[in-house]
Amino acid sequence: MSSATMPAVALERVTYRYPGTQAGVADITLDIAPGELVVCLGPSGCGKTTLLRLIAGFVKPDAGVIRLNGEDVSALPTRSRECGVVFQAYALFPHMRVWENVAYPLRVREVAAEERRRRAADMLELVGLTGLSDRLPAHLSGGQQQRVALARALVFGPRALLLDEPLSALDAGTRVAMREEIRRIQRAQNIATLLITHDQDEALSLADRIVLLNEGRIVQSGSPHEIYDRPADAFVAGFVGRANLLDARVIDAQTIDTSIGRLLTSPHGRAIGSTLHVLVRPERIEVASAANAATGENVFAAHVLRDRFFGATRQVEVAAGNGRLEIETAMRDDVTQLRVPREAIQFLNAQ
Amino acid sequence: MFLRWVTAAYLVYLAVPIALLLVGSFGELWLNTLLPTGSTTHWYVDVAKDPSFRRAFAASLAVVAITCTACVAIGLPLAYALFHTESRRLRALVRVLYQLPVALPPLVLAFGFILVFSSDTLPWLGSIWLLAAGHVVLTLPYFLQAVVADMQRLGLSVLEDAAESLGSNGWQRFMHIVLPALRHSILAGLIIVAALSIGEFQFSNLIAGFLSRTYPVVLLQAFYGATGFACAATVILLALALVAAVGGALTSGGAMQMKAAAA
Repeated sequence: MSSATMPAVALERVTYRYPGTQAGVADITLDIAPGELVVCLGPSGCGKTTLLRLIAGFVKPDAGVIRLNGEDVSALPTRSRECGVVFQAYALFPHMRVWENVAYPLRVREVAAEERRRRAADMLELVGLTGLSDRLPAHLSGGQQQRVALARALVFGPRALLLDEPLSALDAGTRVAMREEIRRIQRAQNIATLLITHDQDEALSLADRIVLLNEGRIVQSGSPHEIYDRPADAFVAGFVGRANLLDARVIDAQTIDTSIGRLLTSPHGRAIGSTLHVLVRPERIEVASAANAATGENVFAAHVLRDRFFGATRQVEVAAGNGRLEIETAMRDDVTQLRVPREAIQFLNAQ
Repeated sequence: MFLRWVTAAYLVYLAVPIALLLVGSFGELWLNTLLPTGSTTHWYVDVAKDPSFRRAFAASLAVVAITCTACVAIGLPLAYALFHTESRRLRALVRVLYQLPVALPPLVLAFGFILVFSSDTLPWLGSIWLLAAGHVVLTLPYFLQAVVADMQRLGLSVLEDAAESLGSNGWQRFMHIVLPALRHSILAGLIIVAALSIGEFQFSNLIAGFLSRTYPVVLLQAFYGATGFACAATVILLALALVAAVGGALTSGGAMQMKAAAA
């Protein structure tokens, strides 16, 4: 394989169980291309941090192979793997000034003092912290500490950048700004990156590719669009974005029965009489008020159960037929009717 | 209001003996009167010239130095091992060790030492090293507590993980990260150890040989002689303790500042 097509990080059927427990990861196969940002998303306890610790070398796989730039590093200790790791709580060295923190990887590599200072300064400029280089970490804000941690993880030219829930310790405002910063810096360095998070917004907005993990296994891997628009199963649909999941029975090639009533669908090719799950995203359902009645197919009377106002949108829970639906709409009037467009109905694989 | 009175009364109760010692150390003669008569500084000169007090002072300093060195040499690796261990047995053992100063009074320890070290096979009773060994047993738990608590507060294991991922080996991690990050708690722990060791009487009184008697042990003898002399000798011990206390307050104050800045 030429270096252009060789993945920067490659996991082949990697399995790890924490001794004496069922927790861990199983049969993980995953490639990260040079310059690609992969977000590993999953609920807490799904094994995503274990995945990062396996790549960084803090734990060794029970089975499988881990490669960095094609080299099998499965047996190498952490310090020889050359991965830049950003920890959840940043793990800055409290007794070192900002520039000393950033220069530390160069110090242990015995780079000359002059050059250490210069390269640390370059890195601090990249992350936008010029002028703070003589501070101690305790005198920085959370976002600034995050930038120092990033600079420190990148200064030695690592083979991959690994970020463990990097935004979870920040307040909401800083988090969104920092998200953009991580993306910018990652692009500038063009480095293969694995970012661990449980936050779907973060995953959808940051990732080149999302890897969704549940109970130690990869459930689906794909671009943010694929994950959101074509979820592999009900778990993915429910975890990424808000979802109405309905049990359905197939009546004919374009008709199903659900708890809210009979729905016309696009041609679906499923066996008549079979039962399955369908997904309808809340924002794909159209709503109508008494003054402006809906017409056409798949129209149902709706009875509002709960109504939450978020400014730009409203999230409304309604009863329709014998079921309930979550709806997201920008309309301000009372909801009395709803329409489910055929193309909003997605068929999921049985779980 | 009531609380203020109680506090004030307690402070007076604490201060009076110290004040009386100070007054007595500068008093010429103090016999059956409320306060001494005449004033002088010659008691301090006398103490400074007294050969047994000079030797005791030197012995105390030597014991403190050995005890502190041993506490770092034993305590630091032990604290590090305790912090990293997953063994429940070891953790249970540590809890016992922490309670040792309460569970094992110096008197009991001293009798044990006398039994073991007065034999012909281990004839070390009276040596300054044995004295220091006893002080290590009595003070090590305080040192461990200070250092292990700081390791937990700092999240030392994550710092070590970070350092390792950045390319450092075990020795570099210890020298660059562990030691400097813990410097405040190591210093604070040592000051506690020194203060306890300098003032220790029960154990030292039973174990010390005639030539290795520590300051508090010799001090007791002084109270059989002139009052002014005894007071002056005590004030010197008090000054040493005060230095340790102020030192401790300053280092823990430094740690508090760091904590406040981190919060």
